[in-house]
Amino acid sequence: MTGRHALTHPTGTQAAGTANTRSPLAGTPLTGTMALLRHAVRLDRWKLLPWLLVIGIFPTVSYSVYGSLFSTPLEAKALQLSLGTNPAFSLLFGPATDLGTAAGFTAWRVQMFGMFFAALMAVFTVTRHTRAAEESGRAELLDSGVVGRHARLASAVVLAWLASAAVTVLVGLALMVAGSPPAPAFALGSTFGGMGLAFAGVAAVTAQLGSSGRTANTLAATVLGVSYLLRGLGDTLDDSQWLLWTSPMGWAEKIRPASENELRPLLLLLAAALALAVLAAWLESRRDFGMGLIAPRGGPARGRLGTWGLTARLNRGAFLTWAVVFVALGSVYGLVATTMSGIFRDNPFVRQMIAFRLATEEQLLFAFVEVLLLVLAFIGGVFGIQVILRFHTEEDEGRAEWLLSEPMSRLSYVVPTIVLAALGPAVGMAAGSAALATSARLAGSELDTAKVVFQGVAEVPALWLAAAVALFLVGLAPRARAGAWLLLVYWLLLTMFGPVLKAPDWLLSTSPFHVVPNVMESSPDWLPVGWTLLLSAVLLVAGLAGYRRRDLLSR
Amino acid sequence: MAAVISITGLLKSFGRSMALDGLDLEVSEGEVHGFLGPNGAGKSTTLRILLGLLRADAGTVRVLDGDPWRDVVTLHRRIAYVPGDVSLWPGLSGGEAIDLLGRLRGGLDDSRRAELLETFELDPTVRGHAYSKGNRQKVAIVAALSSNAELLILDEPTSGLDPLMEASFRQEIRREKAKGRSVLLSSHILAEVESLADRISIIRRGKVVETGSLEQMRSHARTNVAATLSDGTAKLAATPRLTAVPGVDSLRLDGSRVHFSVDAAGLAAAMNVLSGLGVSALTVTPPSLEDLFLQHYGERGGQGRPQ
Repeated sequence: MTGRHALTHPTGTQAAGTANTRSPLAGTPLTGTMALLRHAVRLDRWKLLPWLLVIGIFPTVSYSVYGSLFSTPLEAKALQLSLGTNPAFSLLFGPATDLGTAAGFTAWRVQMFGMFFAALMAVFTVTRHTRAAEESGRAELLDSGVVGRHARLASAVVLAWLASAAVTVLVGLALMVAGSPPAPAFALGSTFGGMGLAFAGVAAVTAQLGSSGRTANTLAATVLGVSYLLRGLGDTLDDSQWLLWTSPMGWAEKIRPASENELRPLLLLLAAALALAVLAAWLESRRDFGMGLIAPRGGPARGRLGTWGLTARLNRGAFLTWAVVFVALGSVYGLVATTMSGIFRDNPFVRQMIAFRLATEEQLLFAFVEVLLLVLAFIGGVFGIQVILRFHTEEDEGRAEWLLSEPMSRLSYVVPTIVLAALGPAVGMAAGSAALATSARLAGSELDTAKVVFQGVAEVPALWLAAAVALFLVGLAPRARAGAWLLLVYWLLLTMFGPVLKAPDWLLSTSPFHVVPNVMESSPDWLPVGWTLLLSAVLLVAGLAGYRRRDLLSR
Repeated sequence: MAAVISITGLLKSFGRSMALDGLDLEVSEGEVHGFLGPNGAGKSTTLRILLGLLRADAGTVRVLDGDPWRDVVTLHRRIAYVPGDVSLWPGLSGGEAIDLLGRLRGGLDDSRRAELLETFELDPTVRGHAYSKGNRQKVAIVAALSSNAELLILDEPTSGLDPLMEASFRQEIRREKAKGRSVLLSSHILAEVESLADRISIIRRGKVVETGSLEQMRSHARTNVAATLSDGTAKLAATPRLTAVPGVDSLRLDGSRVHFSVDAAGLAAAMNVLSGLGVSALTVTPPSLEDLFLQHYGERGGQGRPQ
């Protein structure tokens, strides 16, 4: 296996070129790392490419349109002053330190987004080649070859580091092509790349702890979530700047692209990455192949599960996680929405920015809530797609074949999944928007709970469309199923940033999230939502027809 | 005896690669039918078509008088399946997995389930991801055997089992057969098929190249003969006289011992020659299943070998 791959030149990423040069990784525990790395690059080139493109291209788009956003530098300065003093925006996007330049504006607009995605890319990459590979048995074959004890872990971490370095270079170069000076361009790239480096280390450790790929990913994502929260609080609360030093995301934020271009925190991220990798290696030598340090508990000797019970069981973890996320985010957003009231009152510019067509203060506030609900809606979209793809994992890993050898039609096998994918996000949206309205009211805001929940539920057809696309792909073209994620990310970027970047209306209307009307309007236009529902139904029927007729994938 | 499985001219391709190329197979009621071939010969594809998981491109396939693609639910009530590579739900215990499968078919035999758990020394409280390969296989075997299906379709069921468990498995399959169940046993373990199967089909590159009972297969295969000649002078006569017998091949003289193989038609004549020469010791070995198998694979340079 290694012999074959030793001759192929990895072409997937920019960074792969550097992977080919001989490195001093030669000691016994690391023997074979280079061969495994080449193999991993080969396996991953198409998986990593979309990440690199999305993270790499988006800042450039933001940079290029800056010129058309503000007619005068004064206008940008005004926005900075209002945003800089607004805790809500600091919590969500980080502080706006310098909106007077295109680079500064871009850094503020895309920073959180890029850091999040780079960290997730690194986490998924490391888990895929460590824990998930052990789980699927792929690793056993590789490990029995001439490879050292830590070679596979090392190759996974190095791959994620190379991908992170590629993100840095890509963002830096792309911004320079768009006209940015090199210093802020590469500083912004470094905040992304630095997060990738550190979270590759985090994932290397969580891969040793959890005994399944899902557990490892969940643990690492939890660290990312806590990190995001810590830095958000550090940016928002008085006298809490020190909180920024408590998490990798805070360090990355300390680079402050465009305003300070301070690269010393990057060294901290690098050191953390190395330390975590060493810790992971140490943990790895203290556990057995296939086992985690968190010992798995036994289970019951008898069971009463049917297909409905099985579907509920398989999605239980995800369901609970998302329920907590919906309610927690909803509550936090409720508080954020309340702080907005004050800001609207004494800031004519933000008033104009966010809702220039609206009049009363309640409507202004509601327009802001609409944006917050949109964030919840995307999480709902992730949930729906996840449920459908979980169903496909069953087929991919050979369990569907076993179940379908029982007296059960394919239709009755898939129905519980469809019901869950429809109900789960809907319940989540309702609960999240109810939590939002409740916490806002408790904080003294004058929001109409029923209207907020109604607005939240109005997003549900868009979530169904996301899930229906996933089902359509699973039914007709299972190999292209990841397309559902790409589509959701496209919708997210378009709906969140399209209006700011002045995208044309027809383009904005390709997102089902954009076409959801504001229920506060006197005559909301529900027709596009009707189209969303119809399209979902068509995709559902087509997907089911395809699934019933196609060959089951065999391993 | 009625046929529980009857396949003629089955074709199935995946993209450009032809997995099944005109396969014929017949399994009679109440028999254990060995389905023998190396990895990649098309065994699993055939079984998946029999279960309606894959759709045949052409040919006729009948299982228990039904169409496996169309009559999925009614047929599966009467069939139990053990996959070749069992994958369990990571969070479900083995016992839960067995009961899930049992529940889907409307219940299983609880006492049989308990008995099988004991026979195979399987702990049902372990979570799916903590089982070894052999133990995962046992979960599927227990689930299948504690059903009351009339037809068992087993895809390399003993891969990963230790020899003691393999022996228990054979014992259990004999019991199933005694109850009148039919078994289609795909395997590349020759000893297992030799000891269990009433009839055997050998598959090669998507086609069944030989089918019948072991006796039938032997009857038109070659027998190996080794004889020690009692008289030194007979050695000189041995070579020309044996070569003259039609069907004798691979003749070799080694001191006073003569080795050759002979087909069924020439066996009597060759024995006559030997008795005329004077023999002090004689070994006649019927062809083993391995010999039969290698006749289809080894010597003709087939693409695979049994593992």
